[in-house]
Amino acid sequence: MTAERVRLDESRERNVPWKKWGPYLSERQWGTVREDYSEGGDAWGYFTHDQARSRAYRWGEDGLAGLSDDQQRLCFALALWNGKDPILKERLFGLTNGESNHGEDVKEYYFYLDSTPTHSYMKFLYKYPQVAYPYADLVDTGRRRSRQEFEYELLDTGVFEQDRYWDVFVEYAKASPEDILILISAHNRGPEAAELHVLPTLWFRNLWSWHGGPDRPTLQQVAGPGASVVRAVDGVLGERYLSCEGDTPLLFTENETNTQRIFGVPNRTPYVKDSINDFVVHGQAGAVNPEKTGTKASAHYRLTVGPGECRTIRLRLSNLVPSAPARGNGNVAGPFGERFDEILRTRRAEADEFYADITPASLDADAANVMRQALAGMLWSKQFYHYDVDKWLEERGSDPFKPNRKVAPRNDHWHHMYNGDVISMPDKWEYPWYAAWDLAFHVLALTVVDPDFGKGQLKLMLRERYMHPNGQIPAYEWNFGDVNPPVHAWSTIFTYRLEAAQRGEGDREWLKTSFQKLLLNFTWWVNRKDRTGRNVFEGGFLGLDNIGVFDRNATLPTGGYLEQADGTAWMALFCQNMLEIAAELALTDPDYGEMALKFIEHFLWIASSMAHLGEDTGMWDEEDGFFYDVLRLPDGRAQRLKVRSMVGLLPLCAATTFQGELGAKYPELAERLQWFLVSRPELYAAIHDPMRPGVAGRQLAAILDETKLRRVLAKMLDESEFLGPYGLRSLSKYHAEHPYVINAGGQEYRVSYLPAESDTGMFGGNSNWRGPVWMPVNVLIIRALLQYYAYYGDEFTVECPTGSGRKMTLYQVAEEIARRLSGHFLKGPDGRRPVYGGSRKFQEDPHWRDCLLFYEYFHGDNGAGLGASHQTGWTGGVARLMHLFGTLTPERLLEGGKKAYFELQDRAGVVGAASGR
Amino acid sequence: MELYVDRSVRRWIVRDPEGNFWLLPPGEDSWRRREPFRPKEETDLEPIPGHYKDMLGLPY
Repeated sequence: MTAERVRLDESRERNVPWKKWGPYLSERQWGTVREDYSEGGDAWGYFTHDQARSRAYRWGEDGLAGLSDDQQRLCFALALWNGKDPILKERLFGLTNGESNHGEDVKEYYFYLDSTPTHSYMKFLYKYPQVAYPYADLVDTGRRRSRQEFEYELLDTGVFEQDRYWDVFVEYAKASPEDILILISAHNRGPEAAELHVLPTLWFRNLWSWHGGPDRPTLQQVAGPGASVVRAVDGVLGERYLSCEGDTPLLFTENETNTQRIFGVPNRTPYVKDSINDFVVHGQAGAVNPEKTGTKASAHYRLTVGPGECRTIRLRLSNLVPSAPARGNGNVAGPFGERFDEILRTRRAEADEFYADITPASLDADAANVMRQALAGMLWSKQFYHYDVDKWLEERGSDPFKPNRKVAPRNDHWHHMYNGDVISMPDKWEYPWYAAWDLAFHVLALTVVDPDFGKGQLKLMLRERYMHPNGQIPAYEWNFGDVNPPVHAWSTIFTYRLEAAQRGEGDREWLKTSFQKLLLNFTWWVNRKDRTGRNVFEGGFLGLDNIGVFDRNATLPTGGYLEQADGTAWMALFCQNMLEIAAELALTDPDYGEMALKFIEHFLWIASSMAHLGEDTGMWDEEDGFFYDVLRLPDGRAQRLKVRSMVGLLPLCAATTFQGELGAKYPELAERLQWFLVSRPELYAAIHDPMRPGVAGRQLAAILDETKLRRVLAKMLDESEFLGPYGLRSLSKYHAEHPYVINAGGQEYRVSYLPAESDTGMFGGNSNWRGPVWMPVNVLIIRALLQYYAYYGDEFTVECPTGSGRKMTLYQVAEEIARRLSGHFLKGPDGRRPVYGGSRKFQEDPHWRDCLLFYEYFHGDNGAGLGASHQTGWTGGVARLMHLFGTLTPERLLEGGKKAYFELQDRAGVVGAASGR
Repeated sequence: MELYVDRSVRRWIVRDPEGNFWLLPPGEDSWRRREPFRPKEETDLEPIPGHYKDMLGLPY
């Protein structure tokens, strides 16, 4: 067993706090909903990047390459200054939604190069220009550009010309759960010697200023052997020491708002949040506290580094007094003896060992690097997320239990919520808040390295502090009441099976608890989103932002309402997942047998409503062989909105095979099901016949029968429609030449194929589902194809791509799509990575080309990364796909069914037989 | 109780539950030393989030 696996076990079984310290700092706390106290809810405008250096945060902290404890009491991060910038680089800069032509966007280059799941080793890279950072140019140019133009990127400004920049690597290695070694390496990539100010910074999150806060903690300089030492004392954390190698000056101030700068009111203390900035950048000698005490402190290193050379700084954040490590540190007193380097080397080697152990042997070095950086990104994207909605409402005068209250601009009905946990973020700069359906996909990837963390994340969203009393799962802080696709149950049964295979038994108590809460959520959906009680569902935009011809979250310009193919398909899948969970629980607890039967029947009601033919207008279009949303007009008429999009592919995803264990164990249930099916043949007249056995006697729950499946697949696998060179597009390319147009209320509404960025402001203009490739829905389609394969077997083949004459089984189709998705990140025969498009720097420079970014979505034709640049989040799912197709074989899948992949796992993640190891 | 800032006089302004306005002078214990304040028509009071009340030692 690897050393990291031992740490994971210790963490789970003995509560050894290996995960207490991690990269839990956000990369952007400013511009968030929780810091927004404006009247109108303008989060971006209320708390700006410009204010962030001077204004204490209420709910969390941000920083560069930082870490904190899991309650974010004490934070550590890097600050830098190149001697030219107007401010210290303490946090990442980016444009707000209103400043950029395609919505908010970070304008920095940074990379999550490595992390183990306990954060026993982590590595981060930040590329810092040596010339002045072009803050104003980025804002001005971003504002000027139209939605039809590309975004203006930092590389476009020319600040990296002649390679005049620093590569600053930050590595963390834990000697013990509470003893963290830090190595900062500054590489001068430029042609001349240059000076860099490096300010490792330690600070307390400001809890003491606000209501009911604890006593103020303190930072203070103390003597240390061969180091400048900050002692941190906090009532909860106890004592910590930050030892900074050498006799470097320590600068102290308070993490308090500079009220003079922010509000125009004189400060109560001269030492405020931006005092260190003023000391270093503006030379204000009196700005920092000469008493060497405060709540924020930086060591101030000034490094002059020759061209192509590197200087390093060693630090240690520990619960041990600095003299203590000397005992185990060879013959050098203090925290920086030979032992420091030895521990660092060991943790690096253990990280290598851990990833070697979970990486399928069939992956080459480049693919293994992609998979490892995808997982590193997932792990670095953990964040302490703190938001007490009740308190937040009260502080803005919107206390829900007080008369004469103001109505809050958002989240008014979510005052039950108290969030204060480490949560996986979609992107810690662009989306530094959790998103419920994203999170379910995150878990898919995170469980490659840490099933416990994944399980905990799923559990969190169902807790009473998160889930609404009415059963709704919170969507995200911009509007917790928005509706996200219900994929939580799918992620839950996946995680359960994974753990059951790895540990020899599943956590049935967790599964039971989850089932009860998911049942509330299922009922919420049924009662809230099925307007007519006919088992067809709405849901609004359902995560697919601008995919519809109308804004599906707004009142329709035609009047009436939409019956949504995706909403209904999601509910069919939700039913199947609940059925799977109930069937699993029923194996040991007969009570769940009844629920399993209920979900079988409910699935059939929904599936048949979706696929039905007849006089009424249904979602299935027999002529096109595709599913569409149905517009129900106030006068009773109805029409299909014939936009060929991912909405119409999602019904394919509602497919799950069953082995028949439940019926074998409970013949009475099988009889009741049989009676139901025999007496209601109309329910499955237009869907897959659930009684028809497939390979190995399996049964299949699916909306699409074989005929419909073949027809939808023909479109999906057509390269002139959905199948792009790098995965399935969100909208058919057919609409490039055949835009869908509808007139309503005197206005024309149009959907055209847009493979790159959105050209409208719908949903902030920050994402685009009208052509690009999105990882999560591709993952779900791959899952479904494997289910169909497990049922139909090798006899069922389709042309892939359509019209190519090449026949493939559905396993091969799934693998082909996964291959195309992985292809975004892998070097092609020309040595170029499609994700980096036409960027020469990223494609050719040895200091850039193997540093990977996992974007939010991808150009539908050329694979270039688009949207959020660090959304390892659900795009990190590529790691799961690489793992899956690196271990599973079609033979094993046919033999073992849907559990085959899980059964290939051992405690290390991969078993030898399938992977050749 | 509501908290504001009046940038023109560079002071915190408090409106108590009875609707009275108070100006907080600089320095410690400013609530005890509060001064009545009468906003004029041109006074621009900028709302400050409630959590600053604790920082300023207000009793509400």
